[in-house]
Amino acid sequence: MPPRPPENSSAGPVAPEPARRSTLSRRGFLTAGGVAAGVGVSVAALDLPFFSVAGAAQDPMACRAADVSASDARMVISNWTGYIDPRNKPGSTLADFTSSTGIEVEYNVDVNDNAEFYAKVKNQLGSCDPIDRDLIVLTDWMAARMIGLGWVQPLERSAVPNLHRNLIPDLQGKAWDPDETFHAPWQSGLTGIAYNAAEVDEVGSFTELLTREDLKGRITLLTEMYDTMGFMLKVVGADPGDFTSTQWEDAMDRLRQVIADGQLRSFAGNNYLQDLSAGNILACEAWSGDVLQAQLENPDIRFVAPEEGLSLWSDNMLVPNQATHQDNAERWIDYYYDPEVAARLAAWVNYICPVQGAQEAMEQVDPSLVDNPLIFPDAELLRTTWDFKALDDREQSQYEREWADVTTG
Amino acid sequence: MSVEAPAPPRTPGGGRADRPARRSRRPRGSVTGYLLLAPAGIFLLAFFVVPFYSLVATSLFDPSGSDFRGYEMTYAWGNYVDVVRDYWGPLLRAMAYGAAATAACLVLGYVLAYAIAFKAGRWKNLMLVLVIAPFFTSFLIRTLSWKLILADDGFVVNTLQVLQLLGDDGRLLATPFAVIAGLTYNFLPFMVLPLYASLDKLDPRLVEASSDLYANPVAGFFKVTWPLSLPGVVSGTLLTFIPATGDYINAELLGSTNNRVIGNVIQSQFTDANNYPVAAALSVLLSVLIVVMVLVYVRRAGTEELL
Amino acid sequence: MSRLAEQEVAGDALGAPASGEEGPYDGLRIRALTKSFGSYTAVRSLDLDIPRGSFFALLGPSGCGKTTTLRMVAGLEQPTSGTITLAGEDITRTKPYRRPVNTVFQSYALFPHLDVAENVAFGLKRRKVKDVAAQVEAMLALVELETQASKKPAQLSGGQQQRVALARALINRPEVLLLDEPLGALDLKLRRSMQIEVKRIQTEVGLTFVHVTHDQEEAMTMADTVAVMNGGVVEQMGAPSELYENPRSTFVANFLGQSNLIEGTVRRRDADLVTVDMHGVTVSVPAHRVHTDGDRGWVGIRPEKVLIGEVGAELDAPGNTVPGGVITDVSFVGVSTQYLVRMPWGQELQVFAQNTGRQRMFAHGEQVELSWRPEYAFLLDASQDVAAGADRVVG
Ligand SMILES: Nc1ncnc2c1ncn2[C@@H]1O[C@H](COP(=O)(O)OP(=O)(O)OP(=O)(O)O)[C@@H](O)[C@H]1O
Ligand SMILES: [Mg+2]
Repeated sequence: MPPRPPENSSAGPVAPEPARRSTLSRRGFLTAGGVAAGVGVSVAALDLPFFSVAGAAQDPMACRAADVSASDARMVISNWTGYIDPRNKPGSTLADFTSSTGIEVEYNVDVNDNAEFYAKVKNQLGSCDPIDRDLIVLTDWMAARMIGLGWVQPLERSAVPNLHRNLIPDLQGKAWDPDETFHAPWQSGLTGIAYNAAEVDEVGSFTELLTREDLKGRITLLTEMYDTMGFMLKVVGADPGDFTSTQWEDAMDRLRQVIADGQLRSFAGNNYLQDLSAGNILACEAWSGDVLQAQLENPDIRFVAPEEGLSLWSDNMLVPNQATHQDNAERWIDYYYDPEVAARLAAWVNYICPVQGAQEAMEQVDPSLVDNPLIFPDAELLRTTWDFKALDDREQSQYEREWADVTTG
Repeated sequence: MSVEAPAPPRTPGGGRADRPARRSRRPRGSVTGYLLLAPAGIFLLAFFVVPFYSLVATSLFDPSGSDFRGYEMTYAWGNYVDVVRDYWGPLLRAMAYGAAATAACLVLGYVLAYAIAFKAGRWKNLMLVLVIAPFFTSFLIRTLSWKLILADDGFVVNTLQVLQLLGDDGRLLATPFAVIAGLTYNFLPFMVLPLYASLDKLDPRLVEASSDLYANPVAGFFKVTWPLSLPGVVSGTLLTFIPATGDYINAELLGSTNNRVIGNVIQSQFTDANNYPVAAALSVLLSVLIVVMVLVYVRRAGTEELL
Repeated sequence: MSRLAEQEVAGDALGAPASGEEGPYDGLRIRALTKSFGSYTAVRSLDLDIPRGSFFALLGPSGCGKTTTLRMVAGLEQPTSGTITLAGEDITRTKPYRRPVNTVFQSYALFPHLDVAENVAFGLKRRKVKDVAAQVEAMLALVELETQASKKPAQLSGGQQQRVALARALINRPEVLLLDEPLGALDLKLRRSMQIEVKRIQTEVGLTFVHVTHDQEEAMTMADTVAVMNGGVVEQMGAPSELYENPRSTFVANFLGQSNLIEGTVRRRDADLVTVDMHGVTVSVPAHRVHTDGDRGWVGIRPEKVLIGEVGAELDAPGNTVPGGVITDVSFVGVSTQYLVRMPWGQELQVFAQNTGRQRMFAHGEQVELSWRPEYAFLLDASQDVAAGADRVVG
């Protein structure tokens, strides 16, 4: 039997869901404080005397540091909270990494929110200064933006053979990095619908979520534009992977209508499952990993793959410009793409494991999780997932501004 | 004492001149005075003037810029027109919520401060500690706990429903009421402490004197206690209104999508949309509006000298 | 004011029957008034009658309960028991703002946010009186503050503030005006002139003034009637001269002016004269000045009533002659010379001799004889503390 965190020894009657836990959701508890800090940083970001600010795009080939990995067996990571098995325990994946490679890992849990993290590193990366990190973990759209800005170093293909061998096919070929040159998914998740089965009937589709009379004023949508607008595009019959600006406008109008109707209680990024569990809301757009964790406390919380399909997203490991331990970071990536390590990690964090072969390895780690579709989704489920189309700079800022306007009306 | 200042002119009536000679002694103390001001001045320069200048400059950038392409200074004063046109709703809402919360804080805070100052006896210090006790936990946690208190299936809502004060499908959370309640709760100490400081200084013998002079308790309050506590009222309302108007956490956590305030807009324009010119224009606008309102208010309260 | 009236009042008050059975009285009447703070009794079963229109002084050492008494009359403190009636009406439980009583507070308690005129107008406005401005003007004229009407209290001198406090209370024409040591904070000179001013105003307006002070001189110069309080009770009440000339207790004897108190044994009680043996010297005291029934007592004589002479000299105060004194201290104070004379039994007596020029000054160590007229002496109860009231601070 593989090691388990002690919290699990008293696992309650919550089967069939897995009973291990990081107690915090991936997003961390709340990000508002950090956002406030981010605002300050953004303002100070604009260099004196503030008459125009240069573009932040960089050339990664020109903006790189000498690699000292060979002489300095260290690396620094920034990741989200609750996204790794307890790392100070002997036998944890991280401890094993250190003992097998000799690399000391400084592991920071300072990513709470993509936008906030972006605001934090924008000054340095935008002017080709180091951020003292060798690996950062950000969600698809932010990864795409940073790669587009040229802030991310390409990975040496030969240094990460496991990545290229084991990444599950559905996560391959992203428009913004088709051959995984710049990114490696750390964990993935599905965006779908969660509802409180003690209070309402199953909510089977997004359209239902937005129109059902018994849900009026008792639903939330996620604050992430790519998640929510993907669904809205689906609702108006467009393909999130390839849509026109007219379709985008339709989807936006539909969303404005939903807000005007009072169907929506609020946009939420944190704590929305607490609201669901407490009965303040009855159903919501939700991330699969959060739902799995919430089910431990409230088995009435259910996750639904909506008729419109699911959004499959990843949080991705990226090597930022001016990282000084890229080789070590690549060894880390390769290590976590080992199916056995990936299974041990997945058994603890409960998100979708992006590593092929981990499902088989899970037999040895925790057989009860082998068939959990929210960790190892089957091909049928994955067939309904979509990917958001790659936005160019102008589209991105236009859409993000419209989105901001809608959500803060 | 060195050089005596020239005696001020006698007043025509032959009485004592009103103005003491102190006034013209400035030259001697000036160097020390400026030295003493220096730390505050440097602090202000570094943490207020420079950021504010940056904010104003940012608000005039070409709004079509982006991080990718950069931002150009085009003196786009139109940004201000745009933000007023696009965001007057959340702006007014923020002022309305801030004003409502300030009024609620004033009523609750006055009663509380009065009780602590005059009725608490030896519990005074304990009660003061209790007033600031919420500060020992984070603002976010405190606000989140209000979500529990006002939850749709929570005690408060159920009680109100039983009492028929709230419809069966009525709710408190995600309503303006919840936002104002949250603001009131979070900023109450900022009201209570200055009020307490004012009331505690108030000589209870003055109140006795008023009752000796035929003022019933109500008249005594409005003719003596209230005017003498005005410095506390003014600083309390400012300390409450200013942050309450700029606050967005309460609207975010306790309000619905239709209760968003200007702070939410600024925050999402800054961090989510990276629309710095608009966010900066909104911030400048909000600051200017608040300063103007404060000036008008302080004028009308006639308490410039009390501030 | 006739002295006679007050004498009656004094007797009446001290011999007052239990409250409730008296006829209507148009002044301020206090019966069995008691105030306790926890276990401490600040005022103990106090009886007072203060005639309408009189200037009444409440005199006593610090902490004797004067302020507490006034506060109960004003309604700012609830009595533990007892009654207060004003012009026949029981006001014991009446709210302060309903009582026709105003106070000039020890601290003035002027409203700092109002100017002088507004302070003075305060009471009238609360009662919605018409014609406030004219009355305020007249009142400010009375206290000579017309020119200060629009100043704030903080801009006034101490004496001006005091006059504002007086005007603010007086303008309401209360049945009773209570003054709680209003002059206490003033320097001596200002105090003297304010005493005269207050007295003048009282005479002019004819209201009942109850003036609290612990300055005996102030009480005696201003009041028609003085009540001496000690430890929550009235020790003696009467016209200032009566209190001074015929004190009934060692406390009053010492607190009002100074007294020589000499231990003595009563030898004989006649109808109008009592004979006392004082360390072997026989002296007599008029019967109405004897305030003890016991065999022993304190023979009291004011220092200025004692005559000093050379041994064997002819004295013009026949009756009480005390030989064998030795001068131990001489101080010349201009109008008089003050001697300390050691008597054969060891006690030092005070003697104030007017510098009339008819007698030479005595020197330290000289042998002298003392004498006084019997009608000036008084006899006090031996059980009383000979030093009671002697430690007062003279204002
Ligand atoms: N509120 C109170 N609580 C407890 N004790 C009190 C209170 N007010 C007065 N006392 C006590 O009652 C006694 C009489 O007080 P009061 O103020 O009447 O004295 P006073 O005669 O006016 O003295 P002073 O000449 O110093 O003003 C004092 O011993 C005082 O300590
Ligand atoms: Mg007193």
